[in-house]
Amino acid sequence: MTKDVALDHVTIRFGSHTAVDNALLTIQGGEFFSFLGPSGCGKTTLLRCISGFIEPTEGRVLIGGNDMRRVGPNKRPTALIFQNLALFPLMSVAENIAFPLEVRGVGRKERRRRADELLDLIALPGVGDKKVYELSGGQRQRVAIARALAVEPDILLLDEPLSALDLKLRHHMRTELRSIQKRVGLTFIYITHDQGEALTMSDRVAVMSAGVVQQIDVPEVIYDRPRTAFVASFVGETNAISGKVASQSGGDVVVDTPIGMLPGRASGGRSYAPGDIVTLFIRPEQLAVGEAANAPSISCTVVKEEFEGSVRNLFLEDKGIPLRLSRVNSGSEGAPLVPGQVVKASYNPEKAWALPATPEA
Amino acid sequence: MSASTLRGQTFSVGYSLLFFGFLFGPLIIMTITAFNSSSFPRISPWECFTTEWFGVLVNDRRLMGGLVNSIIIGAGVVALSVPVGLAGALALAEIGPKLRSALYTVLITPILIPGVVLGISTIVFWGHIGRQLGFGYDSVFFNGMFLTIAGQVTFISAYAMLIFSARLQRFDPTLTEAALDLGATPGQAFRKIMLPFLRPAILSAAFLTLLASFENYNTTVFTILAQSTFTTALASKVRYGIDPSLSALAVIIIAVTLIGAMIQEAHTRRREAIVTGRASRSRLYGNPIGRFVAHPATIGLLLIALAAVAIWRGSLHDATVCKQEVIDEKRANQQRFLEEQQKRMKQNAPAPQPAQPGAPQGTKNPSPFGGAFGNVAPQSPDAAPPGPPPAQNPSPFGGAFQGLSPPKQ
Amino acid sequence: MDRLKSVFDEFVSRHGIGVALFISLTVLVWVLVLIALPQVAMLDYSFRHNLSPQDIGGPQDVYTLSNYGFFLFRDGSGTNTLDMGVLGKTILASVLVTIIDVIVCYPIAFILAHSATGVAARLMILGLIVPFWVNEILRAFAFRVIFGATGLINGVGMSLGFWDVPIDFIRANVALYSGLTYTYILLMVFPIYNAVEALDRNQIEAAQDMGASWWRVHWRIVLPVAKPGIASGATMVFMLTAGALAAPQILGGPSNLWFTQLVYQWFSDAGNWQRGSAYAAILLVTCLGFVLLMMKVFKVNIGAIGR
Repeated sequence: MTKDVALDHVTIRFGSHTAVDNALLTIQGGEFFSFLGPSGCGKTTLLRCISGFIEPTEGRVLIGGNDMRRVGPNKRPTALIFQNLALFPLMSVAENIAFPLEVRGVGRKERRRRADELLDLIALPGVGDKKVYELSGGQRQRVAIARALAVEPDILLLDEPLSALDLKLRHHMRTELRSIQKRVGLTFIYITHDQGEALTMSDRVAVMSAGVVQQIDVPEVIYDRPRTAFVASFVGETNAISGKVASQSGGDVVVDTPIGMLPGRASGGRSYAPGDIVTLFIRPEQLAVGEAANAPSISCTVVKEEFEGSVRNLFLEDKGIPLRLSRVNSGSEGAPLVPGQVVKASYNPEKAWALPATPEA
Repeated sequence: MSASTLRGQTFSVGYSLLFFGFLFGPLIIMTITAFNSSSFPRISPWECFTTEWFGVLVNDRRLMGGLVNSIIIGAGVVALSVPVGLAGALALAEIGPKLRSALYTVLITPILIPGVVLGISTIVFWGHIGRQLGFGYDSVFFNGMFLTIAGQVTFISAYAMLIFSARLQRFDPTLTEAALDLGATPGQAFRKIMLPFLRPAILSAAFLTLLASFENYNTTVFTILAQSTFTTALASKVRYGIDPSLSALAVIIIAVTLIGAMIQEAHTRRREAIVTGRASRSRLYGNPIGRFVAHPATIGLLLIALAAVAIWRGSLHDATVCKQEVIDEKRANQQRFLEEQQKRMKQNAPAPQPAQPGAPQGTKNPSPFGGAFGNVAPQSPDAAPPGPPPAQNPSPFGGAFQGLSPPKQ
Repeated sequence: MDRLKSVFDEFVSRHGIGVALFISLTVLVWVLVLIALPQVAMLDYSFRHNLSPQDIGGPQDVYTLSNYGFFLFRDGSGTNTLDMGVLGKTILASVLVTIIDVIVCYPIAFILAHSATGVAARLMILGLIVPFWVNEILRAFAFRVIFGATGLINGVGMSLGFWDVPIDFIRANVALYSGLTYTYILLMVFPIYNAVEALDRNQIEAAQDMGASWWRVHWRIVLPVAKPGIASGATMVFMLTAGALAAPQILGGPSNLWFTQLVYQWFSDAGNWQRGSAYAAILLVTCLGFVLLMMKVFKVNIGAIGR
């Protein structure tokens, strides 16, 4: 029922522009797999390549072990949910859902039965005779999924399907999508530029930048242990302090920065020579006000504090380098800080990552 | 600010009124002249209300023969130029930008090329082909109907293409991709997604191409050769002498147009109301009677029924009595005028007869009687004489009142 | 050739082989058989002698410049000022009609796009279209009814005592120019309307807010946006006016010929198709040349036409 998707050194070029550069990865059957990256990073191109609208310039796409070269989109065991959903405006909801059956020559009655079944599955019974424009955004979303499921695909491809929805609905649909995926047990390949979506729904995430897959891992690892400067800065908020490596012992690194010698970890077993230029990434929530035992600290000046509901963001500065610190708004954080006040900010060096500075980071 | 807005609005309304006055004025005047018994289409002097010009029109053999040809040609042109235009628009929609602008330039030129040039090039080209292949003058290459269809399709297809292009610009190409992705073959995707999307454009293209074919003169007058279409027959009729039966024709065309426009308007409104979901809340579409009354088919039937009643009532109308009175009046005027003239001539007999302004003189300017009698045989070319000068006009009121009197039966 | 092949393959993969063949073959036939070859045939014909059917293909059937020579020099007896004058007058008059149409249509297009709303706008569009569903011949006829010697204007003018002798509007070409202006109004309104409609109303209001007078608003804000529309409309109106045959035949004065009428005379009255072809070619080249020149002067692109 479910099949692996393997990208075997896939490179896609448009003229002189390389949209996808040597992608090598395997997506397990039944997995919820996300490609995360900014617009223009090549993730949509990759998805269109898997669904068959684009042939790779080099390399192969394998689905269930079969090479998909010269297999058209209508012959692949994939179904794509378009960014704009691409529901057929002139057809009713049921006709939309039954379209895959119609083109396969399934009879009218059977089509209707199957459409109703799928409408039940997506919890929209009885809307079959409505026109598409009569549905709400979230309902259209689910109809698009039902239509894709009618193909009985092995792999469902989703191209930023939630981007048109408003915030509340988007959050709701995340849970919804995940539960549909669990129910039908298909491989979902999901494309998004929204890290929240990728991190909450996925089994694994591939972060892409400029056509290159930067890191593939489970969401926790992507967030906690970024392997490239791009991943560290693109996924979540972070403070970036550049400097030179002073010393390294095992995975522990000391970085010589303008604001002092700061300890951190070398990600992915990298080893640096003293003097290598690196960037040290510390998440705002890893910084805490005050000193703590065994924790390095930076003394800095308060610039301002912003209130954001669940958290307070404290903007600090030392020798021209801005630092941001997030505190949970629990009511126990003491007196508000005044601009100009000098404070100590400490952090856990196990969660600070020294990564090689890359041009695009 | 508000003062200038007000001034702007006054200007807008005033200018719009003037503009549409210019647009509709000629049509309204022409419409009124269709019901005046005067043999030259005019409003003043008003003679009698009559419907006879419609009869004259229907009995015009040449025009009606042309109409048959026009219908055949129109059907051929629609059948060819709609697919040709569609192919052109599809080609333009899906090729690279460089090739597209080149192709667009080529396909749009037939609209810009003067119609006479198209007509000439068509007959020269097909004549050449026919001669090369050894066909005689009775072959299809020298057949006016065939040549007219070929010539018209050349540029009318470009009109169809523009309609399709406009529609295709709003087509979402991901719909085709979605269909393919859902397992449709490319052919199925075209038939089930693209064609239904284009359906309204196909209908309007068919209508517009039919109209353009029917109306065309510049190209057709060359390609039709010895035969004639409705429009070429009409043109030669207009060139060699005009009478109000042409106005009657305009009345028919305007009436058909208006009926069509109203049905179309009812149709768009209804669809809009349904699409926006206002239908159930609107007062008109919300209740069954309103829905029935506002349905395009109902409105269409109603208008057609009205037109039928108008035709029936019109056909019963008889203006003979009125016209006789006008003739009598004119004769009396003429008589009086002649007597006055004779009196004056007697008074200064040696003097050469002065040219009275507007007086009937010579053979080129027949008497007003001729004009009145012209009504009897309006089809003879150049029958319409210049009307009598205002000094001898019969009272326009007399005619108007006669015209208002109920139809005699 | 490779480019065309790849375009064809693209069609096949998108719509299937049937639709791809339909598109390619139809466009090919249209471009070659209907558009290009007839023009070539006409051009070829214009360089030939007017021969009787049995002489065609014989020794006398050689290329000649005599048909064009006739346009320039008549029969070698001095320059053919008459025909050249007709051509010049046709072009000038067409320019005049085009300019009048721009002036008349620009305000209505602007009003339609930015002042009229809802029902009024829909009625206006309907009102623009309906007159053009009436046959062109009948529209010309209506102007004859209005401007004829015994027409409406003369009738009213004389009965009110403004003038005594009928004014010959036909001879003065007033009827012809009015009729031509009227006939192609729609082709001017809609391109300008389409262009002006794209203009954001806020831009106008912002300019007014900054104290610009109404003519400055139009000159600096609206006109630049309307320019491609005006160019498109002007090109079509000019070409169709210069190529008009029905209106000049019906409304033209007896001594004032339109160039298309000369073409028509060579064909119908003189039966000299070759010379008629030459005259048609002269008309085509002159008009296209003039339009291209104007496009260069006003810096507009042919891609804007018909949009």
